[in-house]
Amino acid sequence: MNHGKMHLQETAGLYATAAALRLALFTLFPALPDLLTGRVEISTPVTSFKRLQEGLFLYNHNVSPYDGGVYHQAPLLLPLFSLLPDPSAYPIFTYVLYIMVDLLSAHALYKIAESGEAASSRLFTSARKDRRWSGYVVAAIFLFNPFTIATCLARPTSVFTTCAILHAVAKAIYGTPFTAMLSLSFAAYLSMYPILLLPPLVLLAYDRQHASNRILSLLQFAGTNVAAASVSLGALFAVSYLLTGSWEFMSSTYGIQLTLNDLTPNVGLWWYFFIEMFDSFRSFFLGVFWLHLSSYVGGLSIRIRSQPLAVVTLLLGIFGIFKPYPSVSDASLFFAMLPLFRHVFPLMRYSFLTASVVLYSTFLGPAFYHLWIYYGSGNANFFYAITLVWSLGLSLLVSDMTFAVLRDEWEVERPEMVGKEIRQI
Amino acid sequence: MRSFLSYIIPLFLLSCQVFASDYYEQLNLKPLPHSALLASFDFRSNTSLSQFEAQNFRYFPRSLGQILQHVGTRELHLRFSLGRWDAASWGARPWDGTKEGGTGVELWAWLEADTDEEADHKWLTLTNALSGLFCASLNFIDGTRTTRPVMSFISEGDHPNSTLANMHLLHGILPREVVCTENLTPFLKLLPCKGKAGISSLLDGHKLFDASWQSMAIDIRPVCPSDQECVLEIEQTIDMVLDIERSKRPRDNPIPRPPPGHDLKCNSSKPYHAGDTCFPADSIEGQEWALDQVFGKTMKGTCPLTDPDVPPVCIQAPDSRDVYTSAGVTELKTPSGLSRCYKVPSDSEFSLVLPRMSHEGENAKTNADEMVEPETPLLYAERSFTGHGQERGGVQSILTNPSPDTEVEFIYMETLPWFMRIYLHTLKTRIEGISGFNEDVVKEIYYRPALDRARGTQLELRMRIPPASTVFLTYDFEKSILRYTEYPPDANRGFDVAASVITILPSTAPNAPPARRKTSNLRTTSLLLSLPTPDFSMPYNVIIFTSTAVAVAFGGLYNILVRRFVAADEGPAVAGGLKGKIIAGVSKLAAMFKGAKGKVE
Repeated sequence: MNHGKMHLQETAGLYATAAALRLALFTLFPALPDLLTGRVEISTPVTSFKRLQEGLFLYNHNVSPYDGGVYHQAPLLLPLFSLLPDPSAYPIFTYVLYIMVDLLSAHALYKIAESGEAASSRLFTSARKDRRWSGYVVAAIFLFNPFTIATCLARPTSVFTTCAILHAVAKAIYGTPFTAMLSLSFAAYLSMYPILLLPPLVLLAYDRQHASNRILSLLQFAGTNVAAASVSLGALFAVSYLLTGSWEFMSSTYGIQLTLNDLTPNVGLWWYFFIEMFDSFRSFFLGVFWLHLSSYVGGLSIRIRSQPLAVVTLLLGIFGIFKPYPSVSDASLFFAMLPLFRHVFPLMRYSFLTASVVLYSTFLGPAFYHLWIYYGSGNANFFYAITLVWSLGLSLLVSDMTFAVLRDEWEVERPEMVGKEIRQI
Repeated sequence: MRSFLSYIIPLFLLSCQVFASDYYEQLNLKPLPHSALLASFDFRSNTSLSQFEAQNFRYFPRSLGQILQHVGTRELHLRFSLGRWDAASWGARPWDGTKEGGTGVELWAWLEADTDEEADHKWLTLTNALSGLFCASLNFIDGTRTTRPVMSFISEGDHPNSTLANMHLLHGILPREVVCTENLTPFLKLLPCKGKAGISSLLDGHKLFDASWQSMAIDIRPVCPSDQECVLEIEQTIDMVLDIERSKRPRDNPIPRPPPGHDLKCNSSKPYHAGDTCFPADSIEGQEWALDQVFGKTMKGTCPLTDPDVPPVCIQAPDSRDVYTSAGVTELKTPSGLSRCYKVPSDSEFSLVLPRMSHEGENAKTNADEMVEPETPLLYAERSFTGHGQERGGVQSILTNPSPDTEVEFIYMETLPWFMRIYLHTLKTRIEGISGFNEDVVKEIYYRPALDRARGTQLELRMRIPPASTVFLTYDFEKSILRYTEYPPDANRGFDVAASVITILPSTAPNAPPARRKTSNLRTTSLLLSLPTPDFSMPYNVIIFTSTAVAVAFGGLYNILVRRFVAADEGPAVAGGLKGKIIAGVSKLAAMFKGAKGKVE
């Protein structure tokens, strides 16, 4: 009991420090939020705060924000933000909202870490399960990650998606599948791609059901949960329809992710590919890219069936690389989930390489973008090359972690192989 | 053909008695400061609506008339413009700016259609037909360049109430179109005298498109005089500001060369003025010029179809200015003493000479003796881009009301391309020159946001500017990056953004002067927007690199997922390294070869 109380004090201190740091950055450098909002690495066409403000302005002046090419975000954000005072006059309310969202995400992460699900699930217990970081450390790593802080300052709406995903995972782990599904449908409603997390999340929730009202059949459990997710998603769409008065928002928010009409540069691979793509092949490659993105879900869920949380983490990493409009905020979510797998870190083979590649592209990305856009001394290939390096670095990290998780699993069967050289056939 | 005409002409002569004023032409010359000359050509012809419906076109050009009938056009305005009107030194615009377009080609028309889709379809037909008729790329006015102005354009014609209900106004502008000789030739062909006689014989592509500013306009509208039958009127105007010194260059030797030292006009008031240093004097002092010199041609008599009572050439110069004309010309002075007109015999060539007037010596003349002081315009407007880089920028419009006592109310309309994503929430106005003015200058906003690849932004603002003050209107925008096939050739030149159209509303004050009681227009210059460009040379490379990155990630991950783990010394033995691979390969080849040999035998 005393131990728990101490923990509570510690985490409260952590959250207070994180909030204070963010508030200090907001207030001491008043130009910083707008500067970061303009960075293509953080704000994408589907999450940008500036576009949100434009959508809000149009919404408040009775112009449909979806009858235009600027606003591509979910309709429910509009009434939420129109409740807040005007961000240009009283920015503090917006700042507080974003800080709160970050703290909520951190708290969900804290609970996920404290559950110990990463190292010992229902079907599998790692031999290294004692080597782990507490929720305090995991939350701290999330809160003080420069990518997370930059995201919070730039105020993209992707933080809401991050928060919803983390809560969905936390609720699934704590045996409340319907809340998890509600949370996931919020995430999917806001940015569509989280719907792909449904299979591993259902598996996670199935594994972590409370003993009292346990549904034994996986099919039955999955059926009810998918139904719950669809119902809540349907309800969200219905509310949005009532709010905007038409279904226009569907093509504007989700259609743009499917068709990639807006080719604003970002850290992903899609934009330059589809700028340079020949017109006759555009639809074909859009299909290929989406198929590629969703192809990982089945493979990972089946192969790493015993550790659904690892599947969720790996998928988040993959989405951060291959989704249509990725940003640093998606990478920060993946980096937030990684420390849960502290126990497999020693099994990773390329940690130094991936760390250097990520750092390299983090520093060179903005520089090359500047060379292209402002100085004109570089061309688009400079920034494209950096996004390629960034994506390759992250995908190396994802594969490496997959390898580590699988080897960890294999070493439970073959305890004598710990530390030995192995190969895959 | 000849015999057919000779049969027709007597009929015309008969009817001419009835419609004596069916064709009208006049050239107005107005010397402007800094040795510029404004020449306004005005050609107007009428046909009664019933004759038009019956396809009796008379002076109305048949080629145009049939297009209009085919697509149900009730009123049409077409502009070809080039250059910039320098309002600061030339003052108010000719025709109150109503006969002027934005740089490039501008077209707006009222079409009769039951639905919007039908109107769009008719508009497409109209632009394509006019494109062929005027040798201009009007067919490029597609959905992204078409708007339906709500407040800015007001119909000039008299339309019956029955057609008024389903008339659709569509407006399109091509700022990149370069207006040139190939547009003048079809323009002249629409005139009854086809540039062979009358004032139109002065028009020459070399001089017209060498002007500092020029605007060719065609306006077609129905006019219903109160006691007569309704007529369809076509008015063609050409306005140009010639730089006299530039126009006087001989045609066979057009390359400007620096004048020899003794011919240089120096400003002797400079302290360093000496025999070997010279500060060029402003060309304020008038130059001698003649009509045939600045236009490169002489005027060949008058057009026989025009009303003989209307003097074909007028010049706005004070009576104190000396003007010499060729023989046989009658001079008519107006009572105001500020302009005079000339009646020209129908078969002789006409020219006009304005000698240089000395500002020194005994008979010194002042500027007021030499030219009529230009009127102050109702509003000055200029627009420019702010910011740097190819990611985002801003637009700043500076609107100045020069009048010391009257406020000016107008509609400011912008048509922006879709790849310029404007943020309306950043629209700000700042007012200078007047203190304690708290009212919002923007009274009303009509905004239709752009839709990617489908339509452009349409922004109309109704504004009111208090006397003697300047309003700065600013907003931010973001530059989109396009697909590489969407860039024009020479993508780094940038994209032209159409001029904004300002419609000054007639004053409602009871004691307003007549100049303020009618609608007038002005347009800003067009802007050049540079967008970020991809590398056009390497689509294949990008496709290959990205595909490789995707394949590496996918392949690497699936490789890990589908394979089994074994210890390094377990499983099928494979000799490691390159050597082992080569040995394995060779033995495989050998086995295949043996197998094939066995089959042959």
